[in-house]
This record gives sequence, structure tokens and C-alpha cells, in this order.
Amino acid sequence: MDFTVIPRNLPYLLGGLGVTLETALLVILGGTAFGLGLGILRTGGPGAVRLLAAGYIEIIRGTPLLVVLFFVYFGLPPVIGYRLSAYEAAVIGFILFIGAYIAEDYRSGVGAVPQQQREGALALGLTPRQAMRHVVLPQAVRQMIPTLFNQFVRLVKFTSVAAVIGVTELTGAALAVNAREFQPVPIIATLAASYFVLCALLSLVGRWLNRRYAIQT
Amino acid sequence: MQYTFDWSVIWRYRGTLVHGLALTLLLSLAGLAAALAIGMIAGAAGASRRPALKTAALLYVELARNVPLLVHIYFWYLGLSALRLPAFWCGVLALAIYSGAYVAEIVRAGIQSVPSGQRAAALALGLSPAAALRSVIYPQALRITAPSLAGVFSQLIKDSSLASVISVAELTFAAGVIEGDTFRTFEAYITITLLYFLVVTAVSRAALFVFGRRGAEVDRRF
Repeated sequence: MDFTVIPRNLPYLLGGLGVTLETALLVILGGTAFGLGLGILRTGGPGAVRLLAAGYIEIIRGTPLLVVLFFVYFGLPPVIGYRLSAYEAAVIGFILFIGAYIAEDYRSGVGAVPQQQREGALALGLTPRQAMRHVVLPQAVRQMIPTLFNQFVRLVKFTSVAAVIGVTELTGAALAVNAREFQPVPIIATLAASYFVLCALLSLVGRWLNRRYAIQT
Repeated sequence: MQYTFDWSVIWRYRGTLVHGLALTLLLSLAGLAAALAIGMIAGAAGASRRPALKTAALLYVELARNVPLLVHIYFWYLGLSALRLPAFWCGVLALAIYSGAYVAEIVRAGIQSVPSGQRAAALALGLSPAAALRSVIYPQALRITAPSLAGVFSQLIKDSSLASVISVAELTFAAGVIEGDTFRTFEAYITITLLYFLVVTAVSRAALFVFGRRGAEVDRRF
């Protein structure tokens, strides 16, 4: 067992870490936006749109991430007539995937706000749209913080799956180093420790935000 | 959009698909049983009042949960390659230890949600602590947690697709084979998506039925 394999390949591994962080950030932003939009359509859109959104959410939630990724990477290019790079396919696939889960969290978050809040707002003369925007949503979003951060932690972990289609993020870089040096124990240990630190930090941020902004009941 | 579907490939490759489905089922069931066993023990330890047990459970849950499943799989397959475990068992171990942490958290929350008077009453009636846990606390905790457990189980089945990266010839691997042979991407992946959907629905329904029923029996008895 030779732990010097890590410092020797540090620049390469850090490059991989950079790609992982960039992917995670893009997917957190894109996935949250897509998921909230989908959730809004799922709860308040016209009938047909609501049905479509519900169908999409159910199908994605019943499909493994790897299969979604293969769909996007191998299936999408002939349809859209554009050859996606592995990295682009990974980011798009992850956003499509996590969006369905965030939409479902949004739905339960809005459902958790007592009906009387909306009724009270309407009785005070707010339009349904204003009631949603100023009364229901602010409460729903605050209640969603823990579940949202759970999804973000999941998302950081599953960026590793991008390695399967050939993206050199952290896991891909570690596997490449291992293929060259064959020092699996130190490499896998470092890999696991890096993800652990990333996820633990993200959980801490979530807990801090939750303490700061959650509604005290 | 120019894509002509040709579903005949699915029928031609039915053997590959059936074999893949069987392996997915075996992988999921073995992982599920082991995850449930690990989760019950670690969950009980996490809910116990002994600091050593509590810390051990916390350490396990946090370490297992915060590392990607793919890294778990490579840990057994590459990291411990000296053990020469078959790829299938690497997949089972990784799934069991990763999902076991989620089961443990759910079981812990379930145990803590059973009123402490239940345990006190069981002990007062002369049950040993282990018997109280088994016959009084678990049945109630399991029913409360049935929906969350069903969620973890369906997650586990979908996660088992990652075993394909260490060449376990399960469903996703089978689709890859078909795709590689025929370039029929959509047909192959739509078929396995449907199969996953069926398996996931069946297993989560079964989990709700089994655990929900056990709880219902307890209700009737009291």
C-alpha cells in the first residue's frame, strides 16, 4: 500500500474534484429551477399539463439514474441532431432526474401549509396568485429546506455516476489513476473521504439554513 | 425527429432480458434482506441509551450515507480486490451497506416514535429487553415506518442498476448489450424502464402490505 500515489497525482485528482463541484453546482441550480417549475405545473397548471407533469415525475422516479443518463447520452443525440459531450449529457441527465424529485418535494411542501393560510389570504382580498406568492410559497419553501438539502447531498453523491459515461470527475479521475498505478486501497479511501467531506459540509449548511429560517412551531 | 421504432429486437433478445431481470431481482432481494438486517440492528443501536452503541451506529450511518454507492461498489470490487469477491457479491455488499444506513435511520426514528410506556409495560409484564424489542416495539415501529421503508426498497432496486459497471449482467447491463449489438437505444431502454417500473411498484406494494399487516395484527390484539 503506497499512499504517496495521492500527492503524486494530486493535480489530476483536484481537476476531477473541480469537475465534480462544477457539475454539482450546475445541477443544484438547474435542478432546483426545473424541479420548482415542474412542481408548480404539477400542482397548479391546467388539467392536461398537470397530467403530463405527473406522468413525467412518476416515470423518472421509477427509473434508475443510470438509465436516464444512457437515454440522454445515447438516445437524445439522434433525436435532437446534436452530439452531446459526456459532460453535457451528464449535467442534462442529472437535472432531468433530480427535477422530478424536487417537484415532488415541492408538492408535499405546499401541501403541508395549512389550507386556512390560503383561505385567510383570499378572505383578506389577495388574488389566488398573490396568496400563493406572498403567503403559501414563503412558508412552503422554508419547510422544504431539509428535504431540499437531502436532495442536494444525494445529487453530489450521484455525480459520481457520470464516470460511467466517461466524464473525468472525481470518481473518473480516481479510476484513471488507479488504472495507471494500481493502488486501489489508498485511492478508494481518498475518494470516499472526499465525498464524505463534501456531503457533510453540504448537510451542515442545510442544517444551519434550517435553524436560521425554519418556521418555529 | 426521425426515428423508426423496431420492437422486434426486444423479442429476439428476450433471453438476455429475462436473464438480466432475474439477476436484478436476485441482486435486489439479497441486498434488501441484508440491508434490512443491518438496518434493524444499527437502528436499534442508534435508539439505545448506551453512548457506545449510539456512537457506533451514528458513525456507521454517516460514513455509509455520505459516500456515493458507486464508490461503495468500487470499494469492494477494486479496493478489496485482494479478496477476489465475485462481482455479484460486491454489488450485494455495497447495496446492503449503503441502503442499510437509510434503513437504520428510519428504524431508529420508528423506535423512538413508539411511546416509552410500551417498553416499560412490556418489561413490567416480565418480557426480557430483547423480547420487548422484538414483540412489542418492532411491530409498531415497522408499521409507522412502512411507507419510508418501501421508499428505500424501491430506491435500492433502482440503485442495483449501478452493479452493471462492474459487469454484473443485470437488467441495465442487458440493455447495454442489446444497444451495443443493434443500436436500438430507445427500444432497449424503454423496455427496461418498464421492467424496473413493474418491479419497483410490486416490491413497494408488497412492503406496505407485509409491514402494514403486521402492525394491523398488533392493533387487533390490543
